[in-house]
Amino acid sequence: MTKKTFEKIVQEGIRFVARFFPQAQYLYFPLLSAALVWAIKNSQEWREKIFSWEVWLDPSFVKVKSEEFIRSFFSDHPDLSRVFAREIETDDLPALRELFYYLYPIFGLEDPFLSSLFHQELESQDYRSIVQQYDTKIAEAIVDIEAVDNKKKFLDGLETIAREMASFSAEMITQTDVQRALAEIIKNELKKEKD
Amino acid sequence: MRKNKLLFTLVTMAWVLSSCTSHLEDAKFHYVQAQEFSRSYRTEMAIGSYKKSLEESIKEVEKSPSSQAFMLKGLAELNLNLWEDSEQSFLAAFSYGFDKGQEWAEWVSLFGLAAAMQELGLSQSAFQIYSHLVDKSKLKPLTIFAAQKYTDMALQRALGEEDNQKERLLAGLFREIEKLTNRDLSCGFFHYLQAQILGHLRDYTRSFEECVMARELGLPTQEIFHDNDLQIVFCFQRLKQEMAFADWEKFQKLYLQWIGRWNWPDPETPDWKKR
Repeated sequence: MTKKTFEKIVQEGIRFVARFFPQAQYLYFPLLSAALVWAIKNSQEWREKIFSWEVWLDPSFVKVKSEEFIRSFFSDHPDLSRVFAREIETDDLPALRELFYYLYPIFGLEDPFLSSLFHQELESQDYRSIVQQYDTKIAEAIVDIEAVDNKKKFLDGLETIAREMASFSAEMITQTDVQRALAEIIKNELKKEKD
Repeated sequence: MRKNKLLFTLVTMAWVLSSCTSHLEDAKFHYVQAQEFSRSYRTEMAIGSYKKSLEESIKEVEKSPSSQAFMLKGLAELNLNLWEDSEQSFLAAFSYGFDKGQEWAEWVSLFGLAAAMQELGLSQSAFQIYSHLVDKSKLKPLTIFAAQKYTDMALQRALGEEDNQKERLLAGLFREIEKLTNRDLSCGFFHYLQAQILGHLRDYTRSFEECVMARELGLPTQEIFHDNDLQIVFCFQRLKQEMAFADWEKFQKLYLQWIGRWNWPDPETPDWKKR
């Protein structure tokens, strides 16, 4: 019953996002999923986040980390340690530092939009692809999102949908469950559309 | 469209107090309007207003050039991503000098100049300006931003050095940021920066303490808040490995009290971590 209602709200969400991004289906899941996570966590700054990954005059987190911090980040994530075993075994710090730059916002800081944008790569544990495609994919998303007309209307609508979704997601156990359910519904809807 | 809330506040406040001629007045009006459009996500209108502000400020510098007119021109160019023009405008603003009581305009221009220089790859010059602003600026939001830029750039420079020189640079950086904390003990962000530098200096007990201060006092964004929590976990892990048993027992007790207060499910999992 709950799943069905949640599904219905997600369908409305897809229709809503599609009105603003008819040609960018790849953004449906990242936008809805990120908005949902922000709604669950009641984050105040998500509007800024959607339209700017680097708000010009907001301070950012300190990006230059110590060698020990970087090593610890990889050892804390066994999946990453496995994929980047060569760099870790040879203690190739320049390479690890570069990988860290791409992977820390997703695996460490858990940025909801980035995690959703790379959902497929995360599901298939294709972490090297995240690093390879990071700049291109983000640049593409920025261009598409920046181009949207009437951003205020878009954000107001997205917020309403996210809050509705969030009210049902409490019954699902974890954030991962919620995102998986959302991904599944969106995938099915897009498949239906294609068929 | 990139938003600059800080300049919006600073420039609006300052302009109310300053005298204007017509083009300058129009340029200011359009700039403030652009900021308002930008804050309400009306990108196209914001860009249009920045362009109008730029047109008016160009007329003003042609008619009666002044530091304020060039500063305004530079700000509009910065928002339109015209980095080279922006750099030239801020440099011109300095050539006219700033009157007493207009220190705010000097700091804003310096900040704009550093931002433009960084975009143009002149990181050494940008670093020096951020360092100057950390030392001199009395506008808190601007100091916070300059301190973050300065810290990141200084850490990057330290990383490239041999151990002794690295320690020396890090210790110097720590002292610089500590001065900011002493000036404003209630700013969580300065404690966060100190915690980060102490992490590089491998002083994990003090780094943990600064992280706790930062968390309790508040941090400007969720991203920084998460990064601060991960530094707390990192300090916990390092101290577990390095501390003598008696010290560890004492520290662990304290640590468990804090994470209990924050509702963390376990010592290495902040409450916001995906489960």
